[in-house]
Amino acid sequence: MSNIRIGVYVCWCGTNIAKMVDVKQVAEAVGNMDDVVISKDYKYMCSDPGQELIIKDIKEHKLNRVVVSACSPRIHELTFRKALENAGLNAYLFQMANIREQVSWVHVNRKEATKKAIALVRGAINRVRWHEPLEKRRVDVNPATLIIGGGIAGMSAALEIARADKQVILLEKEKELGGQLRFVNRTFPDFIPTSDFIEPMKDDVLHHPRISVLTEANLNELHGYIGNFIGHIQTGAKELKVEFGNIIVASGLKPFNPAPMENYGYGKLPNVITSLELEKMLQTGEIRQTNRKLPEKVAIIHCVGSRSSQYHEFCSSTCCMTALKYSNQVLDMLPNSQVYQLYADMRAMGKGCEELYTATSRKNVMFLMYDQEDGLPYIRKAGPKEDCNLLIEVNEKLSGERIEVPADLVVLMVGMEAHEQAKKLGQTVGISLCGNEFYIEKHPKLDPVATTTDGVYVSGSCQSPKNISDSITQAKAAAARILATINYGSVEVEVTTAHVNEDICCGCQTCVRVCPYGAISYIADDRVSRVNEVLCKGCGTCTTSCPTGAISSRHFTEKQILSQIEGVMLELMEN
Amino acid sequence: MEFEPKIVAFLCNWCSYTGADLAGTSRMKYPANIKIIRIMCSGRIGPTFVLKAFREGADGVMICGCHPGDCHYHEGNYKCLRRYKLIQKYIQQMGIEQDRLRLSWISASEGKQFAELAQSMTEVIRELGPCDIKSVMETFA
Amino acid sequence: MSEQNKPKLKLAVYWGAACGGCCVSVLDVHEKLFDVVAAADLVFWPIALDIKYKDVEAMPDGHIDVTLFNGSVRNSENHHMAKLLRDKTKILVAYGSCSHMGGIPGLGNFSSRKEIFNRVYHDTETTVNPERIEPKEKYSVAEGELSLPEFYNDVRTLDQVVDVDYYLPGCPPQTERLVEVFMAIVTGAELPPTGSVIGALEKSQCDECERKKTDNKLIKEFKRPWEIIDDGETCFLEQGVICMGPATRGGCGYRCINGNAPCKGCYGPPADAPDPGAKMMSAIGTMIDSNDEAEIEKIVDGIVDPAGTFYRYSLPKAIIRRKLTTIKEN
Repeated sequence: MSNIRIGVYVCWCGTNIAKMVDVKQVAEAVGNMDDVVISKDYKYMCSDPGQELIIKDIKEHKLNRVVVSACSPRIHELTFRKALENAGLNAYLFQMANIREQVSWVHVNRKEATKKAIALVRGAINRVRWHEPLEKRRVDVNPATLIIGGGIAGMSAALEIARADKQVILLEKEKELGGQLRFVNRTFPDFIPTSDFIEPMKDDVLHHPRISVLTEANLNELHGYIGNFIGHIQTGAKELKVEFGNIIVASGLKPFNPAPMENYGYGKLPNVITSLELEKMLQTGEIRQTNRKLPEKVAIIHCVGSRSSQYHEFCSSTCCMTALKYSNQVLDMLPNSQVYQLYADMRAMGKGCEELYTATSRKNVMFLMYDQEDGLPYIRKAGPKEDCNLLIEVNEKLSGERIEVPADLVVLMVGMEAHEQAKKLGQTVGISLCGNEFYIEKHPKLDPVATTTDGVYVSGSCQSPKNISDSITQAKAAAARILATINYGSVEVEVTTAHVNEDICCGCQTCVRVCPYGAISYIADDRVSRVNEVLCKGCGTCTTSCPTGAISSRHFTEKQILSQIEGVMLELMEN
Repeated sequence: MEFEPKIVAFLCNWCSYTGADLAGTSRMKYPANIKIIRIMCSGRIGPTFVLKAFREGADGVMICGCHPGDCHYHEGNYKCLRRYKLIQKYIQQMGIEQDRLRLSWISASEGKQFAELAQSMTEVIRELGPCDIKSVMETFA
Repeated sequence: MSEQNKPKLKLAVYWGAACGGCCVSVLDVHEKLFDVVAAADLVFWPIALDIKYKDVEAMPDGHIDVTLFNGSVRNSENHHMAKLLRDKTKILVAYGSCSHMGGIPGLGNFSSRKEIFNRVYHDTETTVNPERIEPKEKYSVAEGELSLPEFYNDVRTLDQVVDVDYYLPGCPPQTERLVEVFMAIVTGAELPPTGSVIGALEKSQCDECERKKTDNKLIKEFKRPWEIIDDGETCFLEQGVICMGPATRGGCGYRCINGNAPCKGCYGPPADAPDPGAKMMSAIGTMIDSNDEAEIEKIVDGIVDPAGTFYRYSLPKAIIRRKLTTIKEN
């Protein structure tokens, strides 16, 4: 007789499920399946009383497997696993059937939805029968941290960690620290000189006993896993081997090059400059045309290379406010000049930004709107009779007219784009890029600091264009996450890994190169492959590549999935 | 009675399963013929699961993974694509229409695309009619 | 002589749909046959002894200690004898690839009975059959009614018609393995659990194959064996030639590979890979060295006959055990 005792719980989720699925019928239909000891429905399984119900039943009915048929496992799998643990049962003796996101919310026929729910629950019951208890594993954490990028984000994180008396290795590919802010004169919306905080910060970083700064340095190779990485770092002609437990990638971004955009004539027309070139002028305290004359009319064009289907679809996020900052700075230095803002949409999110917009709009600044769908502004040289150097033709959106804007100096607010080395660095440290080549975070809402590789975090504008305060916030968050693991001393690692049955493995080595993490190696002495389960992330690709059946994926075994397929199809065949 | 296609869909956890969940949270509608089985990566999918689904009575089988270049595990989806092409050639030899097996890339944000895929797959299979594998396999003649 | 006091084992060998090679492999025990007959009486073996079916029918149930049943079940006669021998035998061994997994006759599952009859009795280039005569199960002549066995549409393995105690794989099984198994039974050694594969290794071919193997299992172009100049040393897969070795149990002494031919899979799968064709297809698919859809298709085209290649010996045992459309024509 089977010693498997399964409890099945069908959740109503209030009316979310119960409205479209006959939950009572589901509970009844699976109640007579082999090994099912009890089968119940309940209003909210994830609520405290719902979890208590499971815990009580586990104890009373000596359940050793549990199926909850409710929402997506992506939402509450961990909740119920915890409930199992509270009842003294291994968390992995549990399976969820998703009858909300994938049944009640997407179907319109109650009878069909109920039938499908029954099928999915039967699949879960069949599967859970073969579940095995898995033990959580921990690995020790090396307290040193590698930070890649010495801009504002990298430096902030470095100081945060170093102040907790933990070692930091800070890698900067340029000769000096500071990142993009080296080229920015003042902040928005508050006009603080960046050197007021960047310089002391650089000083702190360079002189902190717990921070080793390596400039003109690159990470060539990375081995190991969370808590225990080994990096090969190139500095000049030599390669250093460094050990650390966590990594923060804060490699920044780079400005968009507007030269390919013919309508702006950048690089061809004199006095058409980029925002960074204007910063240089502001830094020297002189805004002049190429002929050294002071400009009387300054036009600032927004969204150059941003929010465009042709170049970058995303918003570079900082340029609108930077453009307002420029209006003010230009008017301060050239009080008699006229400033034009040619904008697509004015984005003034953040503390003090809308106020900056209001204040700027009261000054001698003309705001003209254009629509990127309706043709971009076009710059041409003005004729000798005009009282300006350049003329910008633009379809002004609010008036609906095509107008010409005179200018002596045109500033292109170039967008930001991912660093050209982002892809290579991403591959080295094992993080992926999203469609626009910025690094992808683990979860856009719930975990915007971590990445899909454990122990590797992202901060600052390598993840998406960001302002200074957002970069620092993210950097300090990453530092806090890392300090937490260092403080604990060890981290939990994936348990649903692959493993090799060495009595079956024939040593064909098909699996070795299949692993994206280099977790499998061939042990020549024993003539078998072996999985380093700390490196393994549990994708299962090796299991499916193994011709002998020697490799299996914990919690996604052949038997478990084949049984689930049988269970799912079972109900269907009754009709 | 009208033929109701039975379709098994293997979805990777990170992109496609999340995409299918999004179809739910966005209250998009698609036919109840699709039964989803979650795996961690499309790289876990090989002939055994596909053939088993047909063997157990599926009229159609769908595999969904992350878009090329976006695999959570770097390139499991490419491994899946390679096997898929071989399975396609094999099932044709076994007298199973190739349209009964489909591989599609669905990202975590493509709830709409998943719903549309489920719809179109159901229509394709409805057009093809029932697949006889299960009954043929269960009766020796 | 103590041997006289000990009752001799009763041994039978029978063939279903088979080529005869399995029976020859039994004969290949050579002078060891004397040891065999010293320990066992051969009570039934159509290829060697003149014993009629009715003699077997007359035996009490469980009379035979061990039957080596080779060949698959292609027709009703094979089926009848399988059932009969099951009743009369204590230990029924599926002997050889055909009874184990269907073997070469199992490839008949790519065609229907009708297609096979058409080919054999009408379409073969050398056949002249204007009256379109085909075998009939019953035929009346003046002397009475003649009968022939029914030719099945599906080739079956032995365990698809009767319970099987052990499987001794191979096409044919290596004679040394047979002797080992036989001696184990004679000496009363503890036998493995019912349903086990015996006379083969737990691990697959690569474990004993002496060719050089690396992790370089990436294939840009599949090659037929005659398309390469084999260096005699490198793993076949690493030369682009499909070798079933990794999905096939060892025990044969890697005879084919030793003869510079890739393994075809006759020894069947290791314990955890019930469908060796699907397993190998999965492994081979993974080895395709491209991420480009069009290029992958081109590389896959290089595998001329995937079904026949991966299921050469195991089609009737596969998840999809026969071609689908042919059933309708039957």
